[in-house]
Amino acid sequence: MAEAAQRVTAPRLFAGRIGRPAFLLALPPLIVLAAFGAAPLLLIVVWSFWTFDPATYWIKPDFTLVNYLGALSPDRTPVLARTAGLALLTAAISTAIAVPAASALCLFARSRLRALLLALFTIPFFTSGLVRAFAWRLVLGRDGFINQALLALGLIHAPLEWLLFSDFAVVVGMVAADLPFAIVPIVLAYAGIEASVLRASEDLGAGFWTTFRRVVLPLILPGVVSGFLFVFVVAIGASSEVQLLGGAGVSSISIMINDVMRVVNFPLAFAIATLVVVMLFLALLFAQRLLGLSKLLSELGS
Amino acid sequence: MSEAAAIGGRTQGAGPLFWAVTWLGLAIIYAPALYLLLASLNPGEQLGLVSPSAFSLVWYEALLHDRRLLAALQESAWIGGATALVAAPLGLMAAMSYRQMRRWRDAFLLAVLLAMFIPGSIEGLGLSALLKATSIKSSWLTVVAGHLVWTLPFTFTVSLVGLAAIKPVTIAAARDLGAGPFRAFVDVTLPLMRNSLIASLLFAFLLSLNEFARAYYLVGRQNTLPLHMFGAMNSGASPTIYAFSGLVLIVSFAIIGGLLMRRAAAGR
Repeated sequence: MAEAAQRVTAPRLFAGRIGRPAFLLALPPLIVLAAFGAAPLLLIVVWSFWTFDPATYWIKPDFTLVNYLGALSPDRTPVLARTAGLALLTAAISTAIAVPAASALCLFARSRLRALLLALFTIPFFTSGLVRAFAWRLVLGRDGFINQALLALGLIHAPLEWLLFSDFAVVVGMVAADLPFAIVPIVLAYAGIEASVLRASEDLGAGFWTTFRRVVLPLILPGVVSGFLFVFVVAIGASSEVQLLGGAGVSSISIMINDVMRVVNFPLAFAIATLVVVMLFLALLFAQRLLGLSKLLSELGS
Repeated sequence: MSEAAAIGGRTQGAGPLFWAVTWLGLAIIYAPALYLLLASLNPGEQLGLVSPSAFSLVWYEALLHDRRLLAALQESAWIGGATALVAAPLGLMAAMSYRQMRRWRDAFLLAVLLAMFIPGSIEGLGLSALLKATSIKSSWLTVVAGHLVWTLPFTFTVSLVGLAAIKPVTIAAARDLGAGPFRAFVDVTLPLMRNSLIASLLFAFLLSLNEFARAYYLVGRQNTLPLHMFGAMNSGASPTIYAFSGLVLIVSFAIIGGLLMRRAAAGR
């Protein structure tokens, strides 16, 4: 019903012959997406089944599964599992921050403060991720802010070594970088909640926590799960945080692909990339099927 | 939702708790960047904070003599400018067609936004393989190709939000007065979309300027800014890299801050 209403009220900028103008307008962006976005991905998938040709350092069209055996070999699976593990942890922490933060914005803040805070949470996305990851080095380093503060307070007697160049640093850097992805979907989900629903719950005698648990949480759940998946998906592909903050020898899928490419084994890199892309597609498909991702995101335009 | 807070009454302790987490989240995002900015004002070779009276811009001045840095800056400016000039109109087209779509609406939305979630290193790898197969040489143009896909979801979203603010009757009135669809677009929609288009351009420029993973695979002979910085960050950084990092942050924040101020001023 709501969707139908929306369709009726959407301005037909090119009213009259409906259908064709929309298609013509969609064509240029679709061509760019297909040529520079979809085609490369498709090539990666197809070529991951081709054979590495040592004579040309390129590929030849002989079907093979050897690249997948390589991608899933015992020295690579730990990297895949580790990347997924760190991404899950990052997604969990980001969600744990995002739910209360988005709730504070949407339940307790007046509209002007809400807009300001939402902007503050999303602005960093448009600044250099590289620089923001790099900045953590100054904070977490051996002579960094945290160690100096803890030493000055007498809480520790020697600098903590595990703060930087560690999984801890990577997760902290990724949470800081990907937090907007967790917060925005929850804020979008809140936009669909009628204020009267909250008032009704209050009038029926429910305290805040009861209302939050029984009314609010079920309604924002699609946003929460989408945010979790978004952060997970983005963290899986993270590279600069791992490269700048991870310990010696710590690898991630992105770095592994870079390393494989350094010895120009294209099909192996393609196979690893394909595994990642398939996993990401499944996660997003899940979000679309179970949570109506597109409905949630279409709040952006209303 | 309305001007007032949705829940104004008692919150059984949830209020302070939720706000504390909110400030914690903002601190995680902003504290390191702020610390870096302050540390970059330290004139010594050693990192760390000095008292404000000792603040100095020596490292910022040293930037002006770094030829390779300036070359990378120029390359990134070209790439960012070209990306923005193409991605902003494409985003507007995509948003306009999305609003009129019926059948493929959801699929179209997901197709456009998907690029946000594909890891940059994988997109870059795929595009570089496509270039290799078609014997196209890497150059600033190939980076632009990669950055178009990366920035389109954002220019699309900004345009969508902008279009949603236009009242349908405005367009209908123009049409009733005899304007053709093209005329209505040029004389009514476009002027109303001015702020959104400016925002689109600047967001796309910033996203391109700061993009690292795709450019890594797509650059020609001249490094882009993030690639140059990444090299400097990993090679026993001289303090100029802190100054430069600081500068990148200041410029990014200044542009977005300016945008938001404009919007706030326009909203009043």
